Amino acid sequence: MNIFPKIAKWQIITITLVAAGIYCRPALAQPIRVVATFPDLADITRQIGKNLVSVESLATGVEDPHGVPMKPSFVPRLNRANILVVTGLDDEHSWLPALLEVASNPKILLGQPGYIDCSVGIPVLEAPTRLDRAEGDLHPKGNPHYLLDPAYGKIAAQNIATGLARSFPQYQADFDKNLKAYLGELDNWISRWEKIAAPLRGVKYVEYHPEWVYFANRFGLKRVGSIELKPGIEPTPNHLVELVQQIKQEKAQVLIYGSQNPRIPQQLQGETGIKVLRLYTSAGSRSETDTYIKWIDYTVRSLVQAVS
Amino acid sequence: MALPRLWVPVLAASALGGFAIFLPALCLAQSSEMEQLRSVVEGLQQQLQKALQRIDQLEKEKGATSDKIDQLEQEKARTASRIGQVEKSVQAVQSAPSVLNPAIGMVLDANVSQRSKTGGNFNFRSAEVGLSASVDPFARMYGFINGTSDGVEVDEAAAVTTSLPWNLTAKGGRFLADFGRFPKVHAHELPFVNEPLSIDRMVGGETQSDGVEANYLFPTPFFLRATFGGYNKIGEENTQVDNNKSRSWSRFTYLGRLNTYFDLSDNHSIELGTSVAYTPSIRLTGPADGGDRMLNGIDLTYRFQPLASTVYQGLTVGSEFFHNSQRFAFDSAAKRQQAYGGYSYAELKLSKNWSTGFLFDYAPSVSSPGKKTIGYSPFITWNMSEFNRLRFQFTHVDDRVREDKNDGGNQVFLQWTTVIGAHTHGFLGR
Repeated sequence: MNIFPKIAKWQIITITLVAAGIYCRPALAQPIRVVATFPDLADITRQIGKNLVSVESLATGVEDPHGVPMKPSFVPRLNRANILVVTGLDDEHSWLPALLEVASNPKILLGQPGYIDCSVGIPVLEAPTRLDRAEGDLHPKGNPHYLLDPAYGKIAAQNIATGLARSFPQYQADFDKNLKAYLGELDNWISRWEKIAAPLRGVKYVEYHPEWVYFANRFGLKRVGSIELKPGIEPTPNHLVELVQQIKQEKAQVLIYGSQNPRIPQQLQGETGIKVLRLYTSAGSRSETDTYIKWIDYTVRSLVQAVS
Repeated sequence: MALPRLWVPVLAASALGGFAIFLPALCLAQSSEMEQLRSVVEGLQQQLQKALQRIDQLEKEKGATSDKIDQLEQEKARTASRIGQVEKSVQAVQSAPSVLNPAIGMVLDANVSQRSKTGGNFNFRSAEVGLSASVDPFARMYGFINGTSDGVEVDEAAAVTTSLPWNLTAKGGRFLADFGRFPKVHAHELPFVNEPLSIDRMVGGETQSDGVEANYLFPTPFFLRATFGGYNKIGEENTQVDNNKSRSWSRFTYLGRLNTYFDLSDNHSIELGTSVAYTPSIRLTGPADGGDRMLNGIDLTYRFQPLASTVYQGLTVGSEFFHNSQRFAFDSAAKRQQAYGGYSYAELKLSKNWSTGFLFDYAPSVSSPGKKTIGYSPFITWNMSEFNRLRFQFTHVDDRVREDKNDGGNQVFLQWTTVIGAHTHGFLGR
C-alpha cells in the first residue's frame, strides 16, 4: 500500500522535471539567430556570442563588397533573424536595403534594437568633402573598409556585444566576459602584427579600389595611387599611363587588388615590375582566412613576404 | 753585552737570508696579485662597457618610445580634429531645413532610332522623377512621376507597410502590380531598349495599376512569396477598362502570384514565378460586356553569377510565357480567343562595363491570335558607370498583325540612359 504513493511521488517529480525540461528546452536549445552581412562580422559575433548564438553570413568573402548579388535566398534568413550585423557606412547600400524591404522582419530594420551597425564610434577616414557623383561612387559617410585595421575590429566587437546585450540583456554577463577575452586576444595579436609588420613601414603601394587606407594607417604604408579613375569607375587608358609613370617615379613596391579583375594589375606588373598581390577585404575568402584574426594575420604576412 | 752584539749580525744575516730566500716567493706573490688585480680591472672594464652599451641602448629605446608617443599624440590630435569636423558636419546637416525631405532622383531615357518603314527619330522616352522616404514607423512611401513626349503622369505613388505581423506586407495606391517579371519593371531598367511587344499586347504594357496588394512571405527555408491584389485594371496601355469610372466588384481585376528561387550552387540560381490576373467581367468599348478575362503568366530566370567576379562576369537567361483567354464580343456565338505569347532573352556580361545579348519576342494579337509579330533583337550595352549607360540594338521584326507601322521591318536604336540622385526600384526591379 505504501509503495504506490512512493512511486507516484517519483512519477510526479519525474514528470514535473521532464515537463520543465521540455518547456525550457526551446529557450535553451534555440540560440539567438544572427545574420551578418560579411564573414568577418560573423566570426566576431561568434566570438562574442559563443554557444548562445547561431550566426550566418550572407556574403562569402570573395565578392566585391559593394556588388554582392541580391539573392532571394537571403530573404528567408533575414526573415528568421533576431539580429542583423552590418558593416555600416553604406558598405551594403547596393543590396541589403532592397532585401530588407521584402524580408518582413521589423526587428532588424535600421534603427531597431536588432540592427547592429558596427561602424558606430569608428574614426572614419576619407569622408568626402564634395558630395558629387563626378567624384565616382562615393561613400558619403566615409570609407567603409575599417575592419582592415584590427584596432577598429575591437570597436566592431564592442558594438556587437552592446547590440546583442540590447536585445538579449539576460546574457549581458556572458557577452561582456566573451568580449573581454576576445579584446585581450586581439590586443595580443595586434602587438604581434605590429612587430611582424615593421618592414611595411614606408612601403609604397597601389590599390585597385580605395580599400586599404585603414590598414595603411595602422602599419605605416603609403598610397601612391589607385587603378580606378575614381572610386568604382574603371580606368581610362590615360589614367593607366599616368599610373605607370607614378609607380616608376615613386618606386611603388606592391599593387593590391581583391575581388577585381586581375587583367589590369597583371598588365601594370608587366610594365613596371611591381609586385601584384590579391588580398580580399573580408575574411572567408580563403580557407585559411575563415576567422577575422586569421584573415588579418594572412594579410599582414602576405604583404610582409611580398616586400621582403 | 756580547750577546746583543752577536744577536745583531745574526739577526741581520737571518734577515738577509730570509729576504734572499723569500724575495722570489714575495715577488711571485706580488706578480699573481697584480694578475688578479688586472683581471679584476679588466672585468670591471668589460662590465662598464656593457653598462655603457646598455645605457646607449636604453637611451635609443627611450628616444624611439618618445617618438612613438609623439606619433600617437599626433594621431590622437588628428583623430580628434577629424571627429570634430565630422560632428560639425553632422550638426550642419541635421539643422538643414531639408533634412526630412525624401530621397530624390531622376532618370533620363532617350534614344535615336531608324526604322525601315517609318524613318528616323529622336525619341524623348521619359524623364522619371523618383521620391522615397519613410512615412512613419509603420509605412514608407515612394513615387515616380514620369514626363514623356505625351505629357506628365504619376507613374507610381504607393504606400507600403513596414511592420505588419505574420510576414505580411500591404501596398496601396498606384504601382506596378506584381504580375510576371519584366511587366513590372520600368522600361529604362530593362536589359534591352524596348519592352517586348508580347508584354505590350498581352499584359498592356507595364503593369501599372490603381489598387491594393498584399504579400506573404512563407516561413520556408527557401524563398517563397505569394501576392494577392485587387485593381481597377492591370496595364498602363490596357484600354479595355476605364480606370476612372466606378464599377461593380466583378469588374475589378484580381491577381495571384507565387514566386520562388533556388540556389543551384553558389554561382548558379533559378527563379520561377507564376501569375494569374482574373477579371470576372470586362467592359469593352461600347455597351456590350465581353465576359471574363483570364491572363496567366509563367516566368523563369536562370542566373550565372560567379561570386568572385560578379561585377565582371555573368549570364542571365530569362523567359516569360503569357496566355490570354477572353471573348471580344458579348455574343454567345463569339469564340473565346486563346492567345499564347512570350519572350526569351539572354544577356552575357563581358566585363564591368560591357554586356551583350539577344531577345526573341513572340507577340500574337490577343483578339486574333492567328496573327503574330516575331522580333529578333541583338543588343550591346556599355555601362560607363552605374549611372550612365549607352545601348545599341538592332531589331528585325516579322509583323503579321500590322497594328502599327513602327512594329515592323528592320529597326536600329541607340539608347542613352542617365541617372542623377537617389534611384532604386527595390527588390522587384532587380
